[in-house]
Amino acid sequence: MSLISAVNLTKVYGSGDTAVRALDNVSFDVEPGEFVAVMGPSGCGKSTLLHLLGGLDRPTSGTVTIDGNDLTNLSDARLTELRRHKIGFIFQFFNLIPVLNAVENAALPITLDGVRQAEAKEKATDWLRKVGLRERLDHRPDQLSGGQQQRVAVARALVADPALILADEPTGNLDTRAGEEIAALLRQVANEWGRSVVVVTHDPRIAAHADRIVFLKDGSIVDQTVLEPANGRNAEMVVEKMHAFGD
Amino acid sequence: MTIQTTLARRYLAGRKLRTFLTTLAIVFGVLVIFGMNTLLPALTRAFQSNVLAAAGQVDATITLKTGDTFDTAVVERVAGVEGVRLVSGLLNRTINLPADYLDGDPTLPDPASAVALVGIDVPQATSMHSYAVNDGRFLAANDADVAVISRSFAELIGVGVGDTLSLPTPSGETALTIVGLLPPRAQLGSEEVLVTLNQAQTMLEVPGRINTVEANFDVVDGDERAAIEQAILAELGESFQLGGLSANSELATNLGVAAAIFNLLGVLALLMGGFIIFNTFRTVVAERRRDIGMLRALGASRRTITGTFLMEGLIQGVIGTALGLLAGYGLGLLGVSLIGPLLGSMMNLDLGSPVVSPALVIGSIAIGVGVTLLAGLMPAMSASRVTPLEALRPVVGTVSMRRLAGIGFWAGVVLIALAVVALLTRHIAVIGLGAVAFTIGLILAAPALVTPVARFFSGLLATIFARSGTAQLAEGNLTRQPSRAAITASTMLIGMAILIMVASIISSVTVGFTQVMRRSLGSDYIFVPPSIAAWGSNVGSGAELAGSLRAVDGVEVVSSLRFAPSQINGSAISLLGIDPATYPQVSGLTFSEGDESAYDALAAGRGAILNAVLAASTGATVGDAIELLTPNGPQTYTVAGIGGDFLNAKIPTVYISQANIAADFNRTEDVLLQANLGEGADVAAAEAGMKDALRAYPQFRLISGQEYIEENLAIFDAAFYGLYAMVIFLAVPSLIAMVNTLAIGVIERTREIGMLRAVGATHGQVRQIVLAESLILAALGTVFGVVAGLYLGYMAVEALKFAGFPMVYIFPTTGVVIALVAGIVFGVLAAIIPARQVSRLQIVQALRYE
Repeated sequence: MSLISAVNLTKVYGSGDTAVRALDNVSFDVEPGEFVAVMGPSGCGKSTLLHLLGGLDRPTSGTVTIDGNDLTNLSDARLTELRRHKIGFIFQFFNLIPVLNAVENAALPITLDGVRQAEAKEKATDWLRKVGLRERLDHRPDQLSGGQQQRVAVARALVADPALILADEPTGNLDTRAGEEIAALLRQVANEWGRSVVVVTHDPRIAAHADRIVFLKDGSIVDQTVLEPANGRNAEMVVEKMHAFGD
Repeated sequence: MTIQTTLARRYLAGRKLRTFLTTLAIVFGVLVIFGMNTLLPALTRAFQSNVLAAAGQVDATITLKTGDTFDTAVVERVAGVEGVRLVSGLLNRTINLPADYLDGDPTLPDPASAVALVGIDVPQATSMHSYAVNDGRFLAANDADVAVISRSFAELIGVGVGDTLSLPTPSGETALTIVGLLPPRAQLGSEEVLVTLNQAQTMLEVPGRINTVEANFDVVDGDERAAIEQAILAELGESFQLGGLSANSELATNLGVAAAIFNLLGVLALLMGGFIIFNTFRTVVAERRRDIGMLRALGASRRTITGTFLMEGLIQGVIGTALGLLAGYGLGLLGVSLIGPLLGSMMNLDLGSPVVSPALVIGSIAIGVGVTLLAGLMPAMSASRVTPLEALRPVVGTVSMRRLAGIGFWAGVVLIALAVVALLTRHIAVIGLGAVAFTIGLILAAPALVTPVARFFSGLLATIFARSGTAQLAEGNLTRQPSRAAITASTMLIGMAILIMVASIISSVTVGFTQVMRRSLGSDYIFVPPSIAAWGSNVGSGAELAGSLRAVDGVEVVSSLRFAPSQINGSAISLLGIDPATYPQVSGLTFSEGDESAYDALAAGRGAILNAVLAASTGATVGDAIELLTPNGPQTYTVAGIGGDFLNAKIPTVYISQANIAADFNRTEDVLLQANLGEGADVAAAEAGMKDALRAYPQFRLISGQEYIEENLAIFDAAFYGLYAMVIFLAVPSLIAMVNTLAIGVIERTREIGMLRAVGATHGQVRQIVLAESLILAALGTVFGVVAGLYLGYMAVEALKFAGFPMVYIFPTTGVVIALVAGIVFGVLAAIIPARQVSRLQIVQALRYE
């Protein structure tokens, strides 16, 4: 059974003449441990898709099921709880809380869940080491580099042991090298730790690490490509496809 | 520690200046409430223990409800009651002493401003109390012109056994030889001068009369004692009461009023604090939208978000309240150290330390923390409504309060309309409610008015600064967030409104009272007792003084006031006897109902003139019958007019003829005299003659009517400066609010300021924007405040007029000028810190700021 199953998702913003159809009848599954990249030109609806998958927003019609839970029928409180337990988020601007240090930021989801502070910190420290942040654990976000901040964000996404990681342009604010490292890290998240990862990105080199690439255009899926991990030409192929779909 | 607490603590510590400023607002409010309420009970306690001490050591103290004198025979009637073991009759009267009476030296503080003359029946008193004379001897039953005082008092005034002590009395100054000294007085209160009952009766011109009976009972059981007390009251009738003399009740009332005023000030200060916190929190929610969205995306519930903000409020509230309590106690100590020595020398009262009751501490904490939490509640709720999507938006959104502002505006308009209608009802309580409605209405409507008013003032500023751009930018910054500007201006609004209201009342009171004063103090000369209006404790003069004054060459007419305590419907009033024939010649009442013919009604029978304060509180009008409590029971008088004089304008007063006050109240003592000279009289000779006649009556001070009016005007001025000082004290929180809003504005627009600097704005120019913004904000607050204050002032004057105070509404020109100046000064002051903050910004950092 698929971990995520989106069926006939439609999202309309506004109404009447000004209505914008951001997503149009999109159906889409993600398997456990699968790494999926969603690509497409600006305004194609890829962020909207991510929001709907993560329960941050509600579809106009259609359903999203995560691990057997139909998100569209959940109350705000239940949805909040589901996000806390099943989904980890990674954002373009890292979105760390500026007044908390690295460990505290990484521990946030389980702290919010009521786990004892000592235990939460221990777990967060563990994950921070796994994602490659071994020092500066008690530093605040403004004392960390962009790559380091994003590692904290990845640790934060993983700390509650969610089945699904959603990332929105995770490398958009990083330099090339740091971007590569984060992309490799996400690959590791899927392979080594068995999470499903859905990444929305512009960056073909990130997408090249994925198992599958979904191309969106004007709110609809126009192509799905399964990549062979061993193929060294993946990145070039992604670029070609991007051009083909007008990005 | 929960995540809410951690976040709250870290966020607060992360913006120290802002936290400090908002917390300061709470500190201030709690300080006023707590400090004043520790001081006032200290005063009350001191006075109460004074009264208790006076009543001490005996089972029952029996007096007339009016405090007046009664026949000695009452002692026998009390002694006859079953269960009463011992009785003692006394004549006890406080004698106010004129300034420098005891030491004769104006440069030194007076050792005492009043003494209690106590006439005792020696055999009765010695059977009840033990008088341990440790120097000289005690009084003997047939002593004349001798007295016993305490050693402490003797040392204070520098006399010993064998020396004489003179006291002013109605029959002229009396010299008493001190025959013995009692141990130093442990009790608080006025020093006692013990004399024989006969002696006191002669000195006070009340032969055969006493005013207190002390009784001791056979039993100690509470129920039985109560039964004996009931039996005594049944025997003596309803004119009598058990318990001490309530001589200080007037003082207690004044303290109560002072407490109410200070509490009102404290509440207003806290209200402003609440506005400041509300404003700060709303800004913080806006700034932290992305953090909140992220927390929500990670699975933080709405309760967690609300909790974080409320926790921040709680921390600030607790710290602010704690500091406020400390500072308030400091204020109490300061007050005690300032007032204490004064009371000690004047009234022999020990003020002790500020009184901290658990209820006050709990109340202050509840108010301080409660206001903070309440102010933070709405922003916290709005924070919880931030969607997780906010975290993913690249640009920080702004809090839209537009819908709320629209509702607020119309609600405000309705409230203001209601307030205007309330004024038309001419009903005090309704008008009072209207005042509250008006202020709230103005605060609600203010956001909608911010834009046009700000535009007007920025136009004004643009012409002053003559540098295009800065004023417009400032205006734009304010009108971009009209509700925040309005809330900041609201704190200033409250301060300014109070200022203008107080100014309105002051100018109206001054004019109203001056009119009455010129009439009632219009005589050529006035003979003034030590304490005005506290007639009961002034020792007046017998008819001889008036007689000898009339005999002075050049004096044409002399008239006097006589006093008796009385009650109407159980509440104390001041009863004054006037001579209906001569009083209008030297002075005169100002009538609001009836006219001069009322004097004839006073002469013809039991007619009475009520002053307006009393008429307003009892609702009596001309022709009504009123019942005055006399020492012999109630007596009916007919109201002949409503009118009053200056000295008694604030005290419920009834004027009757001197013939009636003698017949019904046994009073013949003149407590204040006024005299006019004849046409072409030799002024110098007449003044010398009057001073001569006054020689035996040091309790009176001779002063010309004109001088006395000026003296009173000076007192008015002093009181009003005090009021103004208090109002300025209140304005401090509004200054904090402005600094706070401006500082927040700078933080918020850091990137914008960086951009301005990048495109070539100088340090001076960006500072000027902040200053212009500050000035426009101040102008907003001042304009709204002046409008509100004028309305509130008019209401207050109307309400006081209904309550019977002689007032005419006067536009407070001075107050408005002060408000405008204060507004500009505040505008400049508030800009100092934020402007420095702005010019310290590094361009590159500012541009990177998120």
